[in-house]
Amino acid sequence: MHSAEINVNTDLHAHGHDHGHDHAHGHDDHHHEETWIQKYIFSTDHKMIGKQFLITGMFWGIVGGLLSVLFRLQLGWPNETFPFLETFLGRWAEGGKISNEFYLSLVTMHGTILVFFVLTGGLSGTFANLLIPYQLGIRDMASGFMNMLSYWFFFAASVVMLSSFFIQTGPASGGWTAYPPINGIKDIALNKGSGLGFDLWALAMTLFVVSSLLGGLNYVATILNMRTKGMTMMKMPLTIWAFMFTAVLGILSFPALLAGVSLLEFDRLLGTSFYLNDIIINGNLLDYKGGSPILYQHLFWFLGHPEVYIIILPAMGIVSEVLSVHARKPIFGYRAMVISIMAIVIIAFLVWAHHMFVTGMNPNLGAVFVLFTLLIAVPSAIKVFNWIGTIWKGSIRLNTPMLFAIGFVSFFISGGLTGIMLGNSAIDIQLHDTYFVVAHFHIVMGVAAFCGMFAGVYHWFPRFYGRFMNETLGLIHFWITLIGAYAIFFPMHFMTGLPRRYFSFANFETFNNFNNLTEFISVAAIVVFFAQLVFIVNFFYSIFKGRKLEGEYNNPWGGTTLEWTAPVERLHGNWPGEIPTVYRWPYDYSVNGRSFIPQDEPLEPGEVEHK
Amino acid sequence: MDDYTWKDKEYLKERMEYTGIHPQKFALWLAMASMTMFFAALTSALIVKKADFQTWENFKLPTVFLYSTICIISVSVVLHLSLVNYRKANFTAFRLLLFAGFVLGTAFLGLQLLGWNELKEMGMPLAGNLSGAFIYLITSAHGFHIAVGLLFLLIFLFFAIRSRKDPIYELKNIANPKRQFNLELLVSFWHYIDIVWIYLYVFFYLNY
Repeated sequence: MHSAEINVNTDLHAHGHDHGHDHAHGHDDHHHEETWIQKYIFSTDHKMIGKQFLITGMFWGIVGGLLSVLFRLQLGWPNETFPFLETFLGRWAEGGKISNEFYLSLVTMHGTILVFFVLTGGLSGTFANLLIPYQLGIRDMASGFMNMLSYWFFFAASVVMLSSFFIQTGPASGGWTAYPPINGIKDIALNKGSGLGFDLWALAMTLFVVSSLLGGLNYVATILNMRTKGMTMMKMPLTIWAFMFTAVLGILSFPALLAGVSLLEFDRLLGTSFYLNDIIINGNLLDYKGGSPILYQHLFWFLGHPEVYIIILPAMGIVSEVLSVHARKPIFGYRAMVISIMAIVIIAFLVWAHHMFVTGMNPNLGAVFVLFTLLIAVPSAIKVFNWIGTIWKGSIRLNTPMLFAIGFVSFFISGGLTGIMLGNSAIDIQLHDTYFVVAHFHIVMGVAAFCGMFAGVYHWFPRFYGRFMNETLGLIHFWITLIGAYAIFFPMHFMTGLPRRYFSFANFETFNNFNNLTEFISVAAIVVFFAQLVFIVNFFYSIFKGRKLEGEYNNPWGGTTLEWTAPVERLHGNWPGEIPTVYRWPYDYSVNGRSFIPQDEPLEPGEVEHK
Repeated sequence: MDDYTWKDKEYLKERMEYTGIHPQKFALWLAMASMTMFFAALTSALIVKKADFQTWENFKLPTVFLYSTICIISVSVVLHLSLVNYRKANFTAFRLLLFAGFVLGTAFLGLQLLGWNELKEMGMPLAGNLSGAFIYLITSAHGFHIAVGLLFLLIFLFFAIRSRKDPIYELKNIANPKRQFNLELLVSFWHYIDIVWIYLYVFFYLNY
């Protein structure tokens, strides 16, 4: 039935095309000049949208990082005052000391911004947009218009989220997880961030979810339906597999967050009690009856856990590609890599309650979640093994993208090992909400994902802008980030029992012995933050002044994938002539006595196709 | 919609042979999967609360919801007929049916409001017992989707009515394949939210 409809469509389309010029059909005219606004602002071109996501993500990265510097100042030097803070923050830091209310806003917004706006929007928005059409030989996304909307919803979400910093009661302060009941009651006497700040948070998150769904639908539809001739699924680079499953995770899990936040806003604005029950404030029993905050946690973590894979999968895909290109070796175990991604995606939906071991859940149910949580270590370990197998005995180029890719693997291992500990409910009950957890997730999905993102930016910068980034600045950026990030998060493993999100530990005798360590961590955090500014400077400097790609030679790394067959200059439609046809898998490095063989080169007579 | 890829006729044909489905239609199906997850989350929340809440008050569903169910089924039928007439180039019938679909869709939203009113009179206000609150929540979430559908229907209707006196304009702006394709997408979306409501009605019927 569908094929019949489609034939009607295509025939009609052809008909429209033939007569298009007779009555000046705007719809068929693809030689029209783009205006400046069409080209740079409301662009439907995947490359421009990718850049928009990247630069917005970088802006958010700086904001989110700056927030962490602010709260590290408080944690590292709880007895000092910093008069310049009052200059910038006014009454949030009276006398140069961050107020405890603003401290909670800082940690909340740091989490929200980094998890959603940088590592989801900035990471998958950037690279999925840039690479899906380029690497699969497609002129543009399934719907350029929807793709544009995806960015502008992201932009609107950003504006709303940022605006919450400038209202009287300040931004949301109930944690990035937005748990009720603290966030479920609109009472600023209880918690200032639960006022308008939280409503703006919820609105921004709703816009963000819309953005990420519009993007995700487009990515999957494009990958499954629009690949060039010869590009079978098993000839796709691993980046594309990663982006596709990232989008699938988003499509199926973000609606749960939307449902959870809808119930929360009903409670806050309309007086229902989905999450609230018998709340007593200042001796007054409030009128809420029958709700349960645990319900929110289920809805939230049904997104919240897949979300960490939404963050890490694109980084994994990028790293697989970068390691293979710069080690000049085929990826080790391509098929195992693909199956591992699928396994991770399936199991990702079955582990959410491991965030809730201390909610009083049935221990037998907890055991099931422990089992699945530990099971997800298997595909993760396979991937790590394959990355190491890929660079094993390779002709490794230790340039910035490669170093960041190796850094990713390092962080993923260090953070993954503590994940195995935390996945056991018996241990988790002890470690829940302590700095051990903070260390775990920052290393495994924070710093690791950042490393993947940086590897991608340094690697594909020539594809983005036709120039290279400065290598010396890149190396400085890498080494400070690698050593600095370990200096920040490694000591946190040993701060036994130190609870997270606390403003000050001055009243806890037992934690006094960590004072030097927290100060050390704060110094490291500030150094790492300023190292990221090196990256920002390098990025913008290189756009205008970086070393140019020379003439026709636009495949600087010797990559096999299709994005390097497209011309350097930006072109709506990517390839001026015909789209290349694909004949071989994407990892033909160091074969047949050659450094690499591009995917669009036909097999030689007698050559056996890689299966 | 400016979609570069679909201006390249050969390219489009090639991809169609390759996969047999228009990517934008596929994207709509994915969106349906996503919306299904949204309603699944809401209804599973209801099941969980019903199971663990001691004072869950059961009540009889307002009868208005039965009428709204009939109403929304008729929207689906009418819009389908409208699409059929469009394909046969019976534009007068197409316009009338499209308009009827819009009126019935609006009537559906009105009936939902009546349903809320009936609930309130039953002693089930929004901020009352959770069993009632869930009905308000889920119907408004569904109603939001209906409103979005009505908005797009209105845009279509605008073009359809504007063109009724000018056959050339009609040919250019109504009878072009891109617009037919968009109409197909819109009608599919309406069928989908129709099915969601039937699911919700049966779900309510079984749980209340």
